Amino acid sequence: MPITTTRRRLLAGSAAALALPAFARAQSAVKPRLTVISQWSAGSDGAAITALGKKFEEKGGTWQHSPVPGFTTEMMNKLRAQIIAGDPPACSQLKGPEIAAWSKIAPTINLDALVAAAGYEKVVAPDLARLHKPGGKWISLPLQIYSTNMLFLSKRAMDKAKADKIPVTWTDFNELAEKMKAGGVTYPIANGGTRPDDGQKFEASLAGISPAAYRAAIMNLDKKALEGPEIKAAFAQARKISDWMDPNVGAQPYATNLKRFIDGDMGMMIQGGWAQGVLRNAGFKFDDFTITPGPSDNSKPVFLLNADAFIFWQRKEPDLQAGQTLMAQLVMDPAIQTMYSQITGSIPVRTDVDLSGEGWSDGQRRTAAALKDAVANNQAVLSLAHNMAQENGLTAAMIDVITEYVKNKTIKPEEAVTRLAEAVEGAR
Amino acid sequence: MTSAVSTATQPGRPATSEMVRRLPEYLTIWLPLLVSAAHLVSFSLWTIWISFTPSTLVPVSGWVGLRNYTAVLASRNWQIAFDNLLLFGSAFVLLSLVTGLMLAILLDQRIRGENVLRTIFLYPLAVSFVVTGTVWSWLLNPGIGIQKLVHDLGWTSFRFDWLVDRDMAIWTIVIAAVWQSSGFAMALFLAGLRSVDADIIKAAQIDGAGPIRIYRRVILPTLWPITITVVVVQLQFAISAFDLVRALTNGGPGIATQLPALVVYDLMFQRGQLGRGAAAAVLMLLILLAVLLPYAAWRYVQRRRSNHA
Repeated sequence: MPITTTRRRLLAGSAAALALPAFARAQSAVKPRLTVISQWSAGSDGAAITALGKKFEEKGGTWQHSPVPGFTTEMMNKLRAQIIAGDPPACSQLKGPEIAAWSKIAPTINLDALVAAAGYEKVVAPDLARLHKPGGKWISLPLQIYSTNMLFLSKRAMDKAKADKIPVTWTDFNELAEKMKAGGVTYPIANGGTRPDDGQKFEASLAGISPAAYRAAIMNLDKKALEGPEIKAAFAQARKISDWMDPNVGAQPYATNLKRFIDGDMGMMIQGGWAQGVLRNAGFKFDDFTITPGPSDNSKPVFLLNADAFIFWQRKEPDLQAGQTLMAQLVMDPAIQTMYSQITGSIPVRTDVDLSGEGWSDGQRRTAAALKDAVANNQAVLSLAHNMAQENGLTAAMIDVITEYVKNKTIKPEEAVTRLAEAVEGAR
Repeated sequence: MTSAVSTATQPGRPATSEMVRRLPEYLTIWLPLLVSAAHLVSFSLWTIWISFTPSTLVPVSGWVGLRNYTAVLASRNWQIAFDNLLLFGSAFVLLSLVTGLMLAILLDQRIRGENVLRTIFLYPLAVSFVVTGTVWSWLLNPGIGIQKLVHDLGWTSFRFDWLVDRDMAIWTIVIAAVWQSSGFAMALFLAGLRSVDADIIKAAQIDGAGPIRIYRRVILPTLWPITITVVVVQLQFAISAFDLVRALTNGGPGIATQLPALVVYDLMFQRGQLGRGAAAAVLMLLILLAVLLPYAAWRYVQRRRSNHA
């Protein structure tokens, strides 16, 4: 597609021209405007994007956000309809490998010049950067990061177990769970019954056992790795976890159990960092629980990355193009990332943001430190359960196997390994 | 428009003027019917076409033959959904039929407050399936619902945890669906019971038949056409059941309560596999036709028989 390429280059060039020397000139020439769609409409997510919109308006732009409440897939249905109608938003929420998949169905803009001008690439985790530049060009920008395998420990359950050591490896974790059980904690694990909940238990197990095997099997779908001993060990660990869960949880979200977790009726929770925000919103105190990176057998933190991002769709209107430039600059800005993460409870994408100040929690600081460590040790991997490792079709096929395994205790780990490999084969 | 048509037609022929006079009636009936039929047919054809293309996130042209169909049929999700449909469809139709009929017969006893009772039994039908599903999901949840209530009353060994039991979870959907729609069956049956000729019943009474015998031998046999209507309506609900399951179990525990409509939605809008989703939708249409075609044939035979008689 030679025409598209030249157009993209032209656009990138003009974007850079607008961005680099004289942003003020661009503003006087045309008032930046941005059409955005996202699923963030309520709660802390809604508050955060509204705050971002205010900043956009402070810089002289017109902010036109159309939230599509509900699941991400509903936002995607609106995006699909707009793309088919030839009228994509200037900017939309999208994440993980879906960025590459969707960029094939409609032209996006090249943000390379803006990213280079901001010096952004060197402060983003490499695996994360790769997701946002399919084909080597930046077309989307990550906004905030969560880890899906944080370990939450209930203070009261720890007291019941007479334990004070924070578990580091899976062996520590299993011992602590047994101690809790013996000490009168009804269910050592607090869990919901949704698909991502079950998926998280498996991915946390595998990544904690071997981040290398996780990368090969789950991210690269290496056939040999998919049938390897680490996968079987991960299924075995996931079974242990499921044995400690409340079997009465139907399809309810994990948040249903938060009170029992705080009361010490349930002991531990393997959840994303967002649970911190939920706990805080529910009125629980930080003293009631501890947040620490999920178990890792080599004792160095493993970070299962989940990141929200914006993708930028090609538009001809000069005001929308100016709006895209302004938005990209805002999203990369450390001050904006700080503001956003402090509202939602996530951590900034930039690894150079200082989290020691007020407004950050210990959990967020520990998460950020874990990310830094994990990146340094090549132990930051992409979450399967939250659609970061594979496209939706493959993810769903794999989660089918995992969720059935977690719920059906007659399936043996080795059977699950075969089924997982078959599911991958069938969905490709 | 009417005048234009009337000048074009020959005046004097009664059949034509009759047609002209009734033109507005024809227009009001046929125009909407044609528009909706065109929609239905064109979208069905479009879905069938998509099911043969390699479409993923957006519809694309191309031809992959039966690949989407073989992929769907081979998937565990579809196999589970199909087995569930057989079980759910038959159990739900049978139970709602029996419950509806029993309610209708009981209400038919000229009892006091019939109107109130009828409204109560019909009321669930007015509630949306999402609400039904959500309410029953709380009632059936062993940790907070009926089981907990009975435990709190003192019977602590009582177990009713079908919602979280893989093998029994499909029955919770049957329970909720029967609760929702047996009122509908009841209303139809009641109308049927009331339309039985009083003289025949009197004759049976004079011949000395008891009430049970009258129902069995005289009244129920006249209900056949209604029974078949109820079965067909309920079956097509069962085949296309979506919102109830989504709210009640969302296909869980695991994927134990998948149903075809959930699979279609999942493939199309969550997995971004439009082609496969369309193939699953076409398979659903085929199942529906397997129910509706025999029904149409039966209607046809019935009509011919009554014409001959």
